[in-house]
Parts: sequence; structure tokens; C-alpha cells
Amino acid sequence: MPDRTRLVGNAAYGWLLLLPAAVLLAAFTHYPAVATLAQSLFTSGTALRPAEFTGLDNYRFMLEDEVFWRVLENNAWYAIGTIPISIALAMLMAVWVNRRLPLRAFVRMSYFTPTVLPMIAVANIWLFFYTPEIGLIDQIAAGFGIGSHNWLGNPDTVLGCIIVLTIWKEAGFFMIFYLAALQSLPPELEEAARLEGAGHWHFFRRVTFPLLMPTTLFVLINAVINSFKLVDQLFILTKGGPDNASALLLYYIYEVAFSFFDQAYASTLTVVLLAVLAIIAIGQFVILDKRIHYR
Amino acid sequence: MPGKLKSARTAVLALIAGLLLAPAAWAVELTMYYPVAVGGPLTKVVDGLVADFMKENPDIEVKAIYAGNYNDARIKAFAALKSGKPAQLSVMFSIDIYELIEQDAIVAFDDIVETDEERAWLESFYPSLMENGITQGKTWGIPFQRSTIVMYYNKDAFREAGLDPDNPPATWEELVAAGRKLVSKSGDQVERWGVMIPSTGYPYWMFGALTMQNDQVLMNGDGNETYFDAPATREALQFWRDLGAVHGVMPSGTIEWGTLRKNFLEARTAIMWHSTGNLTAVKKNAQFDFGVAMLPAKKRRGTPTGGGNFYIFKQTTPEERKAAMKLIRFLTQPERTAEWSIETGYIGTRPDAYETPALKQYVVDFPPAAVARDQLEFATAELSTYQTGRVRKLLDDSIQAVLTDQKSVEDALGSAQEQADRLLKRYR
Amino acid sequence: MVAIELIRVTKTWGSTVAVRDISFEADEGSFVVLLGPSGCGKSTTLRMIAGLDDVTSGRVLIGGKEMTGAPSAERRVSMVFQSYALFPHLNARENILFGLKARKVAKAEQRDRLVRVAEMVGLADLLDRKPAQLSGGQRQRVALARAIIAENPICLMDEPLSNLDAKLRHEMRVEIRALQQRLGMTTVYVTHDQTEAMSMADQVVLMRDGAIEQQGPPAALYDFPETVFAAGFIGTPPMNLLKVEEVGSALVIAGTDGPAVAEAGYGNLVMGIRPEKIAIADGPGIGGRIESCDYLGADTIVGVRVGSQSILVRAHGRHLLPAGSYVHLHWQTYEVHLFDDETGARMTGARSLPIAA
Ligand SMILES: Nc1ncnc2c1ncn2[C@@H]1O[C@H](COP(=O)(O)OP(=O)(O)OP(=O)(O)O)[C@@H](O)[C@H]1O
Ligand SMILES: [Mg+2]
Repeated sequence: MPDRTRLVGNAAYGWLLLLPAAVLLAAFTHYPAVATLAQSLFTSGTALRPAEFTGLDNYRFMLEDEVFWRVLENNAWYAIGTIPISIALAMLMAVWVNRRLPLRAFVRMSYFTPTVLPMIAVANIWLFFYTPEIGLIDQIAAGFGIGSHNWLGNPDTVLGCIIVLTIWKEAGFFMIFYLAALQSLPPELEEAARLEGAGHWHFFRRVTFPLLMPTTLFVLINAVINSFKLVDQLFILTKGGPDNASALLLYYIYEVAFSFFDQAYASTLTVVLLAVLAIIAIGQFVILDKRIHYR
Repeated sequence: MPGKLKSARTAVLALIAGLLLAPAAWAVELTMYYPVAVGGPLTKVVDGLVADFMKENPDIEVKAIYAGNYNDARIKAFAALKSGKPAQLSVMFSIDIYELIEQDAIVAFDDIVETDEERAWLESFYPSLMENGITQGKTWGIPFQRSTIVMYYNKDAFREAGLDPDNPPATWEELVAAGRKLVSKSGDQVERWGVMIPSTGYPYWMFGALTMQNDQVLMNGDGNETYFDAPATREALQFWRDLGAVHGVMPSGTIEWGTLRKNFLEARTAIMWHSTGNLTAVKKNAQFDFGVAMLPAKKRRGTPTGGGNFYIFKQTTPEERKAAMKLIRFLTQPERTAEWSIETGYIGTRPDAYETPALKQYVVDFPPAAVARDQLEFATAELSTYQTGRVRKLLDDSIQAVLTDQKSVEDALGSAQEQADRLLKRYR
Repeated sequence: MVAIELIRVTKTWGSTVAVRDISFEADEGSFVVLLGPSGCGKSTTLRMIAGLDDVTSGRVLIGGKEMTGAPSAERRVSMVFQSYALFPHLNARENILFGLKARKVAKAEQRDRLVRVAEMVGLADLLDRKPAQLSGGQRQRVALARAIIAENPICLMDEPLSNLDAKLRHEMRVEIRALQQRLGMTTVYVTHDQTEAMSMADQVVLMRDGAIEQQGPPAALYDFPETVFAAGFIGTPPMNLLKVEEVGSALVIAGTDGPAVAEAGYGNLVMGIRPEKIAIADGPGIGGRIESCDYLGADTIVGVRVGSQSILVRAHGRHLLPAGSYVHLHWQTYEVHLFDDETGARMTGARSLPIAA
């Protein structure tokens, strides 16, 4: 009997210790998520027309909303375009920079620079690159006798331009994680492999790459989340145009919320965004976890 | 004994409270958001004007807060409103009026003015600048940083192309003809375009000019009806597209609002259509002889007005409203208006501003400064409706779709009108 | 035939000299142990043989061929690392086959060799386990298997047993030695444990501060240490190294007045005598008082105070003498080693004297 009270006391004690964290989590994570879900079932109220319950009307509207499908498709391309390349590039740069190079610190720093710059600043730099006629790319192209190209004004190239910028911005960031992981690999592994006659490529494929898998999973999740999260550059470069050719889901949510002032529909889109991210995250953990060696 | 003590204590407390509260009882504190949409050190000018005001009115404390662009300013104002600590007045986009009314956020100036003198003041602005501020028979916004679109042109390029630099194109036909001559190529490569009309950022605004020139407005005065697929509207968009696609005087695709001024200053285009708000910056940076002209006409001349108005919020005490009125009236005095116009290039919002010695002299020295004013005669309201963000985006998207050859004019404007109708039905 | 030859090899890292002008040879099929205290340059020497570190100066010959600058892969040497350096994501089989796959050895041959090697090191049942699922000793065997499956003529081992407990270490010592002899591999084995060196080596290379102190078969190092350092490094407990003083024409142990242990006239000397060569006798001998008795089972280490010095004696069987009791120590003249006190070098000319009462 006394044992039992002690057990109960311990449990209560444990819960009490958890309480502050739980309250914060609930207040800043769970409550907003639930509130968003609830809001998506109402109309957007204004002072003169209060919000009404409409069930799934907002979702029905969404399914008919061409812009929604457009941004979803754009977002898929954006993800496909940025994720693999930025990860591959990050890994490549990390392996390269991890070698004993002259000026190693300098090279590392220069790869890392895009990461420390705010996205808005980066976008402003790249706006100057992409601007037709007077932009850097066009001026270099003109040096080779190539005509000017309206990179951001053309729906066929605009998303590609955004993707390139994003890769440039992200690869350096991911490189840092790979670099940290590489430095925690014992150097004897490479020495052992060298003695066994394994070339650089063989060693990379058979040892480095698999041992970097936990890092890759981490980076992959970040990259996927970023592909839905990183939209700052659109504000500077394209505002989602021309004709939504470069609009992404989160940017559209911003537009709906703060330019259209349609909180309800913005909530609806946010619910979709959360669902997409949750599904991707779960899928990644389930599928990749089996194939990853954690030390 | 206890009673005596108690009353003594009350007296002391009252005294302290009186001392602390007394100054607050006569001073009014005002918070004002204002946006800046064009380049230049405008915040300094605003700070200077506000400081002058406080010197004249020591009982009013004004906090002028720079709030980013028009979009940011609106978001901040609404956020402040929701948080229960709203500003008392704000400069916001003239076209935010319906959203502000719908949110029951602002009061009409008709409900604040008391004297005949104040009523007369309401009438003292250019009527075309008042259009966006008036609906439901009431005045909700007072023009402040207002602009129109004007045509900037490179006189050196005109001379080089054998055109008369003092006779800029006045019609669409002349614009195309001049544009053709102004395009200069080396091989296949265009080194200088004839004309650029920006189509990112605020495409609907530029389009408002083209439609007005074709004698067509984009919406009604109640903000619940649009005319996106009227034949004249379609013609206007066709013309815009053809400037690039058919006449070859403008690059195809969309043209970036933000970098257009640089294009013009680097002589990559001989003509640009842009806000008057750029006038001072162009004047300071142009390395060549440039001119400013009214936009050309199809059936008539035309431009939308643009820019920001003063609004007074509803959640204010009578004293605050009075103080806000005082501030707005101060900032719109003819002399301040003239100073503001000279510093920024924005239009002097009232005729008597142009009668002040300062602006009079400025116009003599720099005639382009008068163009915007003269054009006001032909100006109309900027696109502004209920659900204005959505409706505007419908039009923006269809303009960009046409300019980038994604859709035909009919399809694009047809579906924009259809969707706008759906949105606006419940406001009719 | 000489399998490995180092000629005047030096290695420096900036201003630190890790290896200083060393030369030695390893005969084909022999087991050479690099022995020395921590930081003396053993690993560096081994890594230069493997080609993992470049030599700063000098030459490395393998199988008679110049290999000084050659890449590791060409040297045909295998290596067992102190940390084993197993690939943690691969199971034992894949770890062992790693090199064969890298060298694209035919599948059938891979299989044959794997079966043979796994049998040899006793891993046949554990091939599907990852390193984390193996015990220290089993990991050691995987590392060993990976080294021998390549069938390289040379195998290098850097303190391969230092992570194992004493018993396992002993077992593995025997196994490695047996395996090495069976396969006829030339082995260079690094350790700082002199017992390991004595029990395994054909040839010991004793290093100190990057230079070779003495090299030769274990018995030579034991019986004829060339220096005080070598004398003190080898043997458990190590050789007693005693200060001596001149009394008349003879030397006595410092703090005593006799009997004489060696002739005087050769400058300052250090006298060395191994604990197991000292007998505790009733007399005649050198008098001393018992300080301690550590019974180890087969024998007892007895500490005896003689003059101002402590002498350790390994006495057979169990001896429990009360501390303070008076005993006499006795040894044969030829068991005494005399070293120069300044240079530490062996004094061949000096003569020890028979102990008189
Ligand atoms: N990469 C290096 N850079 C600088 N100094 C080094 C490097 N590697 C070794 N040294 C130095 O060289 C000397 C010899 O090192 P080494 O690793 O060969 O010693 P060791 O005999 O193997 O010692 P241990 O028994 O502790 O492993 C040491 O003083 C060490 O600090
Ligand atoms: Mg070592």
C-alpha cells in the first residue's frame, strides 16, 4: 500500500515536471493547429458580416480553385528541382572541403556564405543577376553574343530561376551537416579501405555514403520542409508571377491571408500544407529508417 | 480618528494621482502608420513634417511609424486593430477603402468635420484624387502621397532616332511609330527598346491607364461590379500585348516593376511608363536629357490615380479624432503639400498648392513637375472593389497570362470577369 | 629473404620528430615486434611501412622493391588497427570481403576464401552480424580475417589486443602467433606491452623517443640489454638497477659498506640484476631487511632494503617473511650487468665480483 502511493506520487511528480513544456507545446503548437482546422470550417468573418459555419465549403472551393492546383503543381516541381540537387551538391562539397586543401577554411567559409545571408538579401542579389538587359547573366551572355532573355518574365523559365537560387542558398547549409558527419567518421576507415585497394569512388559509395545516411535523412526532411517553407525570395523576385507561374503553396497562403484577408480559406490551405508535410515526414521515417545504419 | 486618517490618505492619493495624470489629461498621443512604395529617403521627409507639427502643437504627441510597402502597412494596421491597440490614423493604399469599411475600421470624414471651414477643406482637393476615397456618398480617405502614371522619355534617344524631343507621342499610333524608330539593335540583339510598361507588382494599375485611354473604366463607383471583359477592356489588353508581340517595340514576357527605373536610366528603353513618385529619383540620376509627358490617348487621355490616403480609425476618442484631423489638415496645407511634392515627386493634391511660391518656382524650373497635375484632368480612380485583393489578382493574373502568351485576351479576361462576378455578387 | 627493410627513415611533423633515423629489417615469415613506451613512434613507423604516412627522409623497401613513395594499395600489406576500423554498417562477411570486392576478385574465389578464413578465425557462425553485435574479441577476429583474406605476404598490426581483457588477450596472442606461422606471413606487430613482445616475437625492435634502442631476438634483449633503458623496460618485474659507490678499489651497493660487487675504476656505474637471478640465502651474501612480500602464486616478489636501495627478488614458491627480518642476498657474478651511469650504455669491460661474506 505505501508502495502504491509512492508510485502515484512519483507519477504525479513526473507529470508536474513535464507540465511547463506541455503547456508551451499546447499553447504554441497544438492549439494553433486545432484553431486552424476549426477556422477552415467557417466563412471569413468581417466586422459587418460575422463568420458562419459552412462545413466543407472551403475545401470544395479549394478543389475548384485553379490557382490552388497551380501552386501545388509548382510546389511539386520546386521540391523535385531543389531537393535532390541541393543534397547531392551539399554532399559533394562537403567531401571536397573535408580533404586537406590549401585555404580549406576559406573555401568552407565561401561555401557557407549563402547560408548566413538572409533570403531577402539573397533574392535582391539574384534579382540583379536575372534582370533582362542590365542583369549580370544577360551582360555575360551578351559578351558571348547571346541575346537577352527575360528570365523572370517568362513562365517557362521563372520557376527554374527560383529553383537555382534556392539550391544555391541551401546547398551550403546542408554542407555543414555533412561536414560535421564526415568529421565524426574515424579516419582509420578510409585508411583501411585504402590498404584494401579501394579507390575514392568505391570508398565513397560503399562506406561514406551509407554512413552519411542518418545525416541524409535529416537533411532530406529539412529540404522537404524547406521546399514548402522557403518562399521569401518570391516577394522580391516575382510575387508569384507571371500568372502564378512561380507561386508556391505557402506564398499563396500568405496572399490569401494578407492580401485577400480571407482567413478561412487561408486556414483551409494551411490544413492541406500541414497534411502534406505530415504525410511526407511519416513516409520518410518509415521507408528510410529501415535502410539506415545508426551508430 | 480612523475616519480622519482615511480622508487624509485619500487626499494625498488624489494629489499624487492628479500630479501624475494631469499632463496626460491635455496631451493627445497619436500613432500613425505610413508606407513608402517608391525609392528615396521619404521617411526623413515625413519625420521632418511631423516634427514641425509637434512644434506647432505641443499638446499633441505623434508617433509616425514607417510600415513597409502598402501591403505591409495594411497588414500592420489590421494586426494593431485586432490586438486592441490600434493606431488612430494611418496612411494606407487608397484602394484599401472597401476592406477598411467592411472591417468597420474607419470613420468617414463627413462624420468628423464640424465647421463649415472644415467642410470646405474637404472640397479643396483635386476631384479625381478624391474618387478612390469616396463611396456610399461619404468621404473616407484624404489624398496624401498620390501619384499618377506618366511617360518618361529619353530626349537624347529621340534625337538620335530623328524624332522631335519636344513632341512626345500623344496617341497609341504615335507611340508605336516612335517606338519602332527608337528600337536600336546590334545584329539580332536589341540594345535599346522603344517602350516599357511594367507588368509585375501592379499590372492592374498600368492597365487602368490603357483602359481609361480607350474610354473604359474597370469598375463602378460602389466597388461591386467590374468590367474586365468589356470590348474596350479587351482592346486595351490586346494593344499592350501587341506592343511586344506584334510591333516589337517592347520586350515580350513581363517587365519587372522594381528594376524598370534602372532600365530607363541605363538607356535600355527610350520610354517608360511609371509612377510620378519616381520623378525626383529619375531627375537626380539621369545622365541624359529626359522629358516627362502625359500618357498617350486612344479615344482620350487617361491614367488611374494611385498611392496613399489618410484614414482615421473608428476606435478613437473624440479628442483623438480632433487631433488626427488637426494633423491631417496640417500635412495637407498648401505649403506642406508643395514641400512634399517637391521632395518626392508625388502630386500636389490641391490646386492651391501649385499657387504657392515654392511649387510655382519649382514648376518653372522643372516643367515635368507640372505634367502629373495637368494630367489629373483626365485621371480616374484606381481599381478598387470589395474583396479588392482577390479581384485585383484576377486581373493581374490574366494580364500576365496574356503578356506571356499563356492565354488569349478573350479567355483570360472572360474568366477573370466571371470569377469577379462570383466574388462580388453578395455585395450588390 | 628480407621482406621489409627500412633504411635510415625519419619522420617529422613540423618541429616534432616522431621517428629518428631508424633502420631495421624483417625477414620473410618472421614476427617482428615494435616495442616501446607510448609516444615513441611505433605507430608512425608502422604507418610508414603501410604507406599511410609519407617518410620525411630515408627509404622503405618491401619484398626487395623500392616502395618509398608508393601508394598503400600497391604495397600488398594488410593491416589490423587498434580500433579495428571495421565498417559499422557492414556485417562481418561484407567487412571481410571488402578488399576482395574492391579488387574485383571473382565471386567464386571470394566465397572459397571466405569459408577458409572464417573457419580459421572461428567466425563461421557470426558472419551475418554487424560489428555492434559482436564482442570485442569477435570484432578482433573480423579485423584479423579481413587482414588475412587478402593473402598479402605482409601483415601489420597496431596494438591489436589493447582493447581486450587479460585472459582474452592471452588467448588471442597464441592464436595470432599460430595463424601467422601457419600462413607464413611476415608480421610487424606494435605493442607497448613487453610480455606480448617477449612471448610472440622472433625479433624485437625496442624504440625510445623515435629512435631504436636495441633490436634482436627476445632472449638477447633479456639476457644482454644494451642500455639501462632496455634493461628497465623488459621483464616483470624489471631488472633491479642499483646505485653503487666506490669503497677502496671496489664498488659496493650505495649505503652499504660491503661486500664488494664489482671492480672500481670504470667511472660511475649502475649495476643491474634481474629479480629472478637473486637467491635469498642464509649466507654468505649481502645483508638486507625484508620490506614486503607479494605472493603471486607460482612465486613471491620479495622487497628487500639494502643500504639506501630497494631490491626486488623473485623467489620460487610461497615466502612469507615478516617485514624487518634480516636476510642475505646472493647471485652469480655472470648475472650482474654493469652500465655507464651517464650514457646508460653497457660497460663490457667492467667486471663484477663474486660476493664474499
Ligand atoms: N599527425 C601527427 N601530427 C603531429 N604529431 C604527430 C602526429 N602523429 C604522431 N605524432 C607525434 O609523433 C610521436 C610518435 O607518435 P606515435 O603515434 O607513432 O606513437 P606510438 O609509439 O604509436 O604511441 P602509442 O603507444 O601511444 O600509440 C608522438 O609524439 C606524437 O605526438
Ligand atoms: Mg600507437
